[in-house]
Amino acid sequence: MTSVILIDWLEAILRWSAPLIICSIGEVYAERSGIINMGIEGIMLCGALCGVAVCYYANSQVAALLACLVLGAVLGLVVAFLTVSRRTNQVVTGLMVNMLATGGTEIVFSMMAATRHNRATTFSPLFPEAMQQIPFIGKIVFAQPWSTWVAFILPFIAGFILYKTRWGLNVRAIGDNPQAAETAGISVIKVKYQTVILSGIFACLAGGVLTLASSGYFAAGGMVNGRGFIVMAAVVVGGWDPIKTMLVCVLFGAADAAQLRLQTIGSAIPNQFLQMLPYVITIIALTIMVKRSRVPKTWGAAYDGRKD
Amino acid sequence: MGEKKTLNLPLIGNIILTKGHSVLGIILGIIAGGILILISGVNPFDAYGAMLRGAFRNWASFTNVLVRSSPLLLGGIGVAIGIKSGLWNTGIEGFMYLGGIGAAIVSTMNLGLPPVLYVLLCFLVGMLFAGVWGAIPGYLKAYRGVNEVTCTIMMNYIAVYLTNWIVTSTPIAQPEAFYPMSLPFAQATYLPILTQGTSLHIGPFIGIVVCLVFYFLLKYTSFGFRTRMLGYNPIAARYAGVNSKRQMVIIMVIGAMLGGLAGTIECIGLRHRLYMEYVTNVGYESVAVALVAGGNPIGVLVSALFFSILKAGGATMAIETGVSSSMSSIIIALCVLFVVGVGVADEKSASARKRKAKAAAAAKKEVAE
Repeated sequence: MTSVILIDWLEAILRWSAPLIICSIGEVYAERSGIINMGIEGIMLCGALCGVAVCYYANSQVAALLACLVLGAVLGLVVAFLTVSRRTNQVVTGLMVNMLATGGTEIVFSMMAATRHNRATTFSPLFPEAMQQIPFIGKIVFAQPWSTWVAFILPFIAGFILYKTRWGLNVRAIGDNPQAAETAGISVIKVKYQTVILSGIFACLAGGVLTLASSGYFAAGGMVNGRGFIVMAAVVVGGWDPIKTMLVCVLFGAADAAQLRLQTIGSAIPNQFLQMLPYVITIIALTIMVKRSRVPKTWGAAYDGRKD
Repeated sequence: MGEKKTLNLPLIGNIILTKGHSVLGIILGIIAGGILILISGVNPFDAYGAMLRGAFRNWASFTNVLVRSSPLLLGGIGVAIGIKSGLWNTGIEGFMYLGGIGAAIVSTMNLGLPPVLYVLLCFLVGMLFAGVWGAIPGYLKAYRGVNEVTCTIMMNYIAVYLTNWIVTSTPIAQPEAFYPMSLPFAQATYLPILTQGTSLHIGPFIGIVVCLVFYFLLKYTSFGFRTRMLGYNPIAARYAGVNSKRQMVIIMVIGAMLGGLAGTIECIGLRHRLYMEYVTNVGYESVAVALVAGGNPIGVLVSALFFSILKAGGATMAIETGVSSSMSSIIIALCVLFVVGVGVADEKSASARKRKAKAAAAAKKEVAE
């Protein structure tokens, strides 16, 4: 009995952390270049709806992911235009993008009555059915949809790009000292645009994975449920490093998966307190870790390109 | 172009707002909203007409606007004092829930107090609950360096689930309710209704008074001076002997108490029960109100009223033209984005003009020499 629950929980941890990890990669880049994209919560919500809708109407998961990619790039571009070119306040911009996304998805979803009752086809497992028969590991690892595998490989690629390539060096330089980077001939504005658009794309894809890798449904309003903000916390706790951030995402995913499991087996603790678990753990993790991580020096500040 | 205000926020950047920018931004936001309405297949003039009719048709519909402005006024001022001191109070939603919980606990007990005392007790307990709740992010921000935006938003979710628990499985929950809610409140706690046949309670006027009080507090008292100093230049504030950490906690707690008051008023003035998830979007809307107002309490009065016209009228617009009522929150968000976008762009060109003038003056001087 307990081993069944344990296997179920471990499997759910991997599945629930996948969208968080995907979303965190883009956010790491954006924040390393100095821009906090707070709109990821809303962009994720858009991606969740876009994924389900396109997958249902076009009946193609490839089309759904492509649509998420384009939508994410457009939304990222909007955030980048406002925060980089217009140098608007990043908190306000993000919150208002979230408000736009909440209202917008509600309106669009209400127009698409069909997706309410019909499931979109969900992602298939990467490995053949036979491998799921392997005891313990089979259920946990090999039953995962392919998106989970991608999610756990991506941070390593992202880490390589951030630390070992010229572009990654530019991103880190811009976040720490944009003036010096500009003097060295890096186009600060251009790189900031690139990172913010990337964060939009990854957030939107994460939203698509959120729905298409699990239920295939979209639920207006509570679909993303603060996961974007949890990712932002994970990036801070993970010290703006893709791989450490991935581990933090797994921790938060574990809390999320645990509360769902504990609700079904019926514990003495009321459900509502279990549901608080991911948020409480996020605050605790932030409190413990925040002073130990090295903040990008111009984190959250607007970069003014004027040379006065 | 109006009086110029620059808010220099640590770590976050500058907010430049003038009255002219706010008006221009709002006009652009309304135009953009109109385009969206057009895309959804409705004539925007019809839609906005329905919105205005919904807000101003008669006194009864205007009371609806006022009732909706009550949480926005209090929440807006709670965010505004934070903005003045460089803190982002995004937790109004959570504080409102805590205020509601406080009010529910007191007013379902049937203490048999006279109405005035009972209402004051509700306010007190609601504000106390929210204040304690707000002290947590305040403390974490000031002494542990935890970003207050993430922290307050996490606490909003915790507050939602706490409320859900209270209205489903505690003694004050209504048994066998079709929707999770608390027991009905005692009659003595109902806020007085000002116009018979409407739900206009005294809440909006409490909000207006609070705005005016904070206008004077910020402008004329040493508390206000310390608060503004913290926002303009936290380092200078520390040199001048302001205990900036303590001041941060105080401001967060005050903001939380105002949010709590908003929640209490919403519960004892309008709903007379505590419902599950009764706060809808007011947290972010309060940020919008405070921001369009540029953190100015008098501005909060104007922008809270404006946004509640959008919200109250939005409901009528939804009924009459079929445009979703979510459109009003979209328009609010668009207005704010345009207000901040236009503001900063203008500051850029203004300083460019100044620089050009300076260069010209320098050139002239050179020629003269």
